[in-house]
Order: sequence, then C-alpha cells, then structure tokens
Amino acid sequence: MKIARVCLQALGILLLIPVVALLTLRYDNRYADGPSILFPGGELVSGDLYTGPEPDWSFTREIPTIELQLNDPLSSRLIWILESNGKIYIASGYMSSFLGRLWKHWAVQADAGDGLAVVRINGIRYERQLVRIKEGPELDGVGASMAKYGSATTRQTIEAGNTWIFELAPRGT
Amino acid sequence: MKTKNYLVLCVAVSAIVALTILFVPGLSDTIEREMLTFLSTNAR
Repeated sequence: MKIARVCLQALGILLLIPVVALLTLRYDNRYADGPSILFPGGELVSGDLYTGPEPDWSFTREIPTIELQLNDPLSSRLIWILESNGKIYIASGYMSSFLGRLWKHWAVQADAGDGLAVVRINGIRYERQLVRIKEGPELDGVGASMAKYGSATTRQTIEAGNTWIFELAPRGT
Repeated sequence: MKTKNYLVLCVAVSAIVALTILFVPGLSDTIEREMLTFLSTNAR
C-alpha cells in the first residue's frame, strides 16, 4: 500500500512538471510580438504597416500560415489563409461543437466584436476587418481553396456552421 | 510522504519549473523547439 502511494505521488510530480511548463510557456508568450507555433502571442508590432491600394493577394496561395491579431482582445495566433477571387479569408473549424468553440474562442470573439484585426504576412502588417461570411456563392470558391490544406470543407459545411469563414476585408467596408 | 508534505513539494516543484522557464534566457525557445521536433516526428 505504501509503495503504491509513493508511486502515485511520483507519477503526480512527473505529470505536474510538463503541465506547469506548458502553462508557463503560454504565459511567457502572451505579450510577445506575434504568436509562436504552439502558443498565442500579443500585439503584432514589428514589420512595416501596409498602406496603399488593395494588394494582389494571389501570392498568399503559396503561404501556409499568417499571423492574425485581433484588436479586442489583443492577442495573436497563427492561422491558415485562403484566397479566392481576389479576396482573402480565414477559417475556423469545429465550430458546431462546444469544445471547438472553446478551442477556437477567437472566432466567437471576432464574430461578436468589432472584427478589427491586423495580419502579418511575409513581415508586412495589414489592417483588416473580419467579416463573417455565412452563406452565398463566394463560399464555393473558399471551399475549393481549402484543398490547399487537404481539407474536405465545402460550401455546405460552412453554411451548416461547422466551419466559420471570415473575409479579411479592408477596413471601413 | 504525508499529504501536506507532498502538496508543499508540488508547489515547490511548480515554482522552480515556472521560474526556471521564465528567467533562464533561451530556455523557453529551446523547450518549444524540442516540442515541435517531437510533434513533427511523432504526430500523424
């Protein structure tokens, strides 16, 4: 009995160390200039702020992830980017489940809030407005562009609410 | 080990781990890099 107790206590310590390490790493990264691969970061600070006409976003087809910062709450994360018909979009999956909404809480916050965001692509920051697209023919192109990531997302799954799509629209539109 | 002593040990270990990660330069980057290497090697 005593041996079992000691073994359980040792196991508890061994589990405690990685849990504390993960929580500390997340805490440590919370105000960083952008996210790490594993943990959200803070405000995107470095990089030139883009001004000028709407860019040709076709170059993003070759980019796997971008850094997305919401203004409220001020936090940033890595996210896939989709391009369709000259517009860029981001996606948040698993949104029809409670755990998905908990995991992808940023999407809930973006949908409920003002949607103001900054994205950093290739070291350049772009001020954008997140606009959720719930239905419409443009989702056909967005769904098709998800093939870039091997995703089976379609217009139907988006319109059913399983995947939320946000257009990264210019500010003030 | 008695429960009270064990809880004290847990708090002490947590504090040491957290403070080490926070204040040893480069350690957090190294841990994250090793985690990524592990995940990219083993995750399927």
